[in-house]
Amino acid sequence: MSKRRKRSIFEVMNEYVENFRIWAEEIIESAVAERPRWDVKSCCLEPLCNVFITIDEAVVTADLPNTDPKNIKVKAVSEDSIEIRAKMKRKLQFDYFGITHRRGEFSSFRCQVHIPVPVDTKQMKSDFKRGVLEVRLPRKKGYEIKIE
Amino acid sequence: MTELTKIVEKKPIPSGAIMLQGLPDVGLVGLIATSYITSELNLDEIAYVDSDLLPPVIVLHDGLPHAPLRMYGKNNIIATISETAVPAASLHIVMRAFIDWMQSKNVKMVVSMGGIPVENRQAIKEPEVFVAASTKDQLNLLSEKGLKILKGGYMVGPQALTMRYCAERNIPAIALMAQSFYNYPDPEAAAMVIKELTKIAEIKVDISKLLEQGEEIRLKARDIMRRTQQEMTRMKKTQEYDLPLYV
Repeated sequence: MSKRRKRSIFEVMNEYVENFRIWAEEIIESAVAERPRWDVKSCCLEPLCNVFITIDEAVVTADLPNTDPKNIKVKAVSEDSIEIRAKMKRKLQFDYFGITHRRGEFSSFRCQVHIPVPVDTKQMKSDFKRGVLEVRLPRKKGYEIKIE
Repeated sequence: MTELTKIVEKKPIPSGAIMLQGLPDVGLVGLIATSYITSELNLDEIAYVDSDLLPPVIVLHDGLPHAPLRMYGKNNIIATISETAVPAASLHIVMRAFIDWMQSKNVKMVVSMGGIPVENRQAIKEPEVFVAASTKDQLNLLSEKGLKILKGGYMVGPQALTMRYCAERNIPAIALMAQSFYNYPDPEAAAMVIKELTKIAEIKVDISKLLEQGEEIRLKARDIMRRTQQEMTRMKKTQEYDLPLYV
């Protein structure tokens, strides 16, 4: 039998921290009920979207296939969130996705995206390329500390 | 092969075949590419992975149940796809069982297809494809054929384990990776991977239909992409952006 290597205190601590992180993630996931990413009432699909934070800006992207850039609307709904709405080129029923046991159709994409850092929503700029919307929001500047 | 994870064969498995692997990962590139090849070459479902470590999920096709992680094959090709994200915590055991099985079937070569996340994907018209291999000889051969070698960096996820376990068992393995979106389905990147695949394997597939179907694939792949992203977060996929320490 091979002799087990003695682990350092740092390795043990790292393992505890990692286990705690996984446990915390699981708790958060189980606390927030999963929901469908579509809404028949408003005929909306929720697009895939993402937020990247860089030093200067927050970049929100959303995958919007089956849409025309003319029919995409982006607006700030509060200081820290924006709403994306995009009308689809053609309406989609559930059977388009191979689902025959549900009824309803989808005519647009819609989502609200929370921005986790302070941004200037009045300065936001957007671009649409390869079916992906990109919204850039400059981060609010803080103040400089003089180095002595 | 562990008792918790086994491969159940439904039809005779071709011996000495090329194994194409496309599990859900960055941009679903490998999954889209493998599924497209499976459909274009009209491959038959030949086996599936039965594991207590996978979620209790089946997929219904025309009212009939299928295991999400399964293999298709015909003649000298076997293709693996998964219609559900493979849990990060189960990946090691599932991949090890899977590669043990491949070895028992004398697989000639494994081609694992996938994506390399790039931040400026929107600006890239034709994604570049890079390749890594499990042996130096293979790498030289690929280089001679004009493929671009992925010289450094980290690989995380199913492709990484495929390369590692294949190298351990002396099974020739190649990873074909196209620049792609991280968490948006990327059929264009999948098409570029197939284009490069045809240079290294005797597989003839026309990618034009895949490019035409791009928008439809992106619409239909939303939910599996979302779940795959959750697993990518768990396996710390963003380590692929890290700059490695070579001293």
